[in-house]
Amino acid sequence: MKFELKLALRFLKAGKGQTLFIMLGIAIGVAVQIFLGTLITGLQEDLVNATVGKSPHIVLRSESTKITQREQDDDSLLSTEGNFIKDERSLSNWEPFLTYLDSQEQLTAVSPVVSGNAFLIKSGLRSPLVIRGIDSDRADDIYRFEEVTTSGSYQLSGNQSLIGSEIARTYALDIGDSFLIELAGGTSEIFIVSGIFDLGTQGINETWVFLDLIRAQRLLDFGGNISSIELQVSEVFKADQIANQLDRELIGADFTNWKDENASLLSALNSQSSSSYTIQFFVLMAITLGIASVLAVSVVQKQRQIGILKAMGTSSKSARNIFILQGAILGFLGAMLGVFLGFLLIQGFLFGTAAATGDPLFALNIRFNQTMVILLITTLASIISAVIPARNSAKLNPIDVMKG
Amino acid sequence: MSNCLLQACNIKKTYGTVVKTEVLKGIDLSIQQGEFASLIGYSGSGKTTLLNILGALDKPTEGEVKFNGQKISAMQDEELAYFRNSNLGFIFQFHHLLPDFSVLENVLIPTWIKDGTANKNRIERAKELLEMVGLKDRINNNANDISGGQQQRVAIARALINEPSLILADEPTGNLDSDTTEQVYALMRDLNEKLQTSFLIVTHNDHIAAKSDRVIEIKDGNITKDFMTKEKEEGEIWQDLAPCYCKLKDERESVL
Ligand SMILES: Nc1ncnc2c1ncn2[C@@H]1O[C@H](COP(=O)(O)OP(=O)(O)O)[C@@H](O)[C@H]1O
Ligand SMILES: [Mg+2]
Repeated sequence: MKFELKLALRFLKAGKGQTLFIMLGIAIGVAVQIFLGTLITGLQEDLVNATVGKSPHIVLRSESTKITQREQDDDSLLSTEGNFIKDERSLSNWEPFLTYLDSQEQLTAVSPVVSGNAFLIKSGLRSPLVIRGIDSDRADDIYRFEEVTTSGSYQLSGNQSLIGSEIARTYALDIGDSFLIELAGGTSEIFIVSGIFDLGTQGINETWVFLDLIRAQRLLDFGGNISSIELQVSEVFKADQIANQLDRELIGADFTNWKDENASLLSALNSQSSSSYTIQFFVLMAITLGIASVLAVSVVQKQRQIGILKAMGTSSKSARNIFILQGAILGFLGAMLGVFLGFLLIQGFLFGTAAATGDPLFALNIRFNQTMVILLITTLASIISAVIPARNSAKLNPIDVMKG
Repeated sequence: MSNCLLQACNIKKTYGTVVKTEVLKGIDLSIQQGEFASLIGYSGSGKTTLLNILGALDKPTEGEVKFNGQKISAMQDEELAYFRNSNLGFIFQFHHLLPDFSVLENVLIPTWIKDGTANKNRIERAKELLEMVGLKDRINNNANDISGGQQQRVAIARALINEPSLILADEPTGNLDSDTTEQVYALMRDLNEKLQTSFLIVTHNDHIAAKSDRVIEIKDGNITKDFMTKEKEEGEIWQDLAPCYCKLKDERESVL
């Protein structure tokens, strides 16, 4: 192979103009692929982040009356009883589950929630409310209170509450103001506004009230039970897989994940991805055809040299490999150059959008894996595109090409 | 008598499928170890065709070529390539150096083909050969930047680098002036004597042919003359000589 490599490199070096030209072609193609791929990934991440960034990715509820963990070696078997008394599936003895979920690597947030419906009553007005009893610190992992709290503090205890910005506006509620929460049964309690949030969704801002978990349990008559455990995962697009995995582990638990609930968004993202793949495919086709034609011409140009090499004892296989290697080298180096160009393009894009708006439109990160895949595919495609020219080289008959 | 290196028996070559032309009509020929032979004949008489067949670049329509007793026709592509690389050297009329390589690299190419790369010994050997052909100070020149005669001398050095036992040269001086022709022949003759490499040279030059050990004439696809120049000076005409030395040798042995 050493000999073939030496010849391949020399042939490429000798045809400097051609080599640079086709390499630039490959580089531009790859740069477009990298840019497009990164742009679309960035765009999708931005979109997904806007959709599920500040909401649970997976929610665990009770499906049957009893949730148990699949058998373990030690006897730390987890178990909880569902409570159907109020036709409201609730979880008892949930603390061990919290510990179990906390130990799961893929989960970045684990937050127990008590929820229920009620009415807000203020100055004779009345509107429906969704009560969310939470542990402030745990819920913060999901809702990023630090970012979304527009005024006040998100730390909840006693009868403090965190209300949506729309509620605050409608009822002219400010920090320190009080309001009444009334349940369907008629029970009511007074709460104080300690913080106002804006989660970016009208419906939530109009109806949600966060209360301290223990206080909410008492208000909603849950005893020590909770309604659900909300989870976030590090890899958003794996939420369904992780949910399935947890589902297998925890028998009787019911998991919902954001992907199932956002099917239309995902199908839009998918079709966006597939149109990006289509473009990438055609770019790859163009690269492949470019390499194939350059090498085909090169074989014709060099047929005398190949003939003499064969007369001197180069096998047909070697004569073929010389051109396969040229394809591989062109593809690999071109793709490397393309990665660099793509990187420049992205920087340019970020700079350009930042200049216009002060902030880049959205974050763009070159993915190492994505880049490796493009490098690999381009190199492979280049090798494949070299096959036909290489075969022509292998087929050259020295006595035919050396005449005259 | 010296050892038989190459033996061709009843070589026939027919071109064309519809209109068939028989270019070689049953050639019997053998080349001895260390022999310096000229192959002469009119243009179109089949010299190149024969040389290509002897050098395993082409396949005869009929007949068999043996090299050191080994049948060439039985070899597959890779084996054949290896065989050519280690046993044969080619010198062509149009020197055929590789333009993308230097003079020294051109000489080393057969070594690269054989071993993938050239070690110090081989590089030294290439330099020695280039010195022998008088191009010591041109080793780093590009193959295209030297004169035609110099290129042909590089081709000779290249043909010799793997120490082949036979060099096949097809009109190696066909496009060189007469002074250069003289030099190139003197060189080949010299190398033949020093290294005991056999040469089979196609030439139009009678003057050159007369200086070889042996002259073979081919006409209309048959060998019409085959004689040793030494013997001819003694007045003995080798025209009716048995075409196959080896056969002759075998016959002689059986007689003994
Ligand atoms: N590939 C070929 N196809 C058909 N005819 C050929 C081919 N090669 C050579 N010939 C014919 O064979 C004859 C001998 O050619 P060649 O061996 O080149 O002669 P020489 O080298 O003695 O001049 C010529 O008549 C030539 O036209
Ligand atoms: Mg000829």
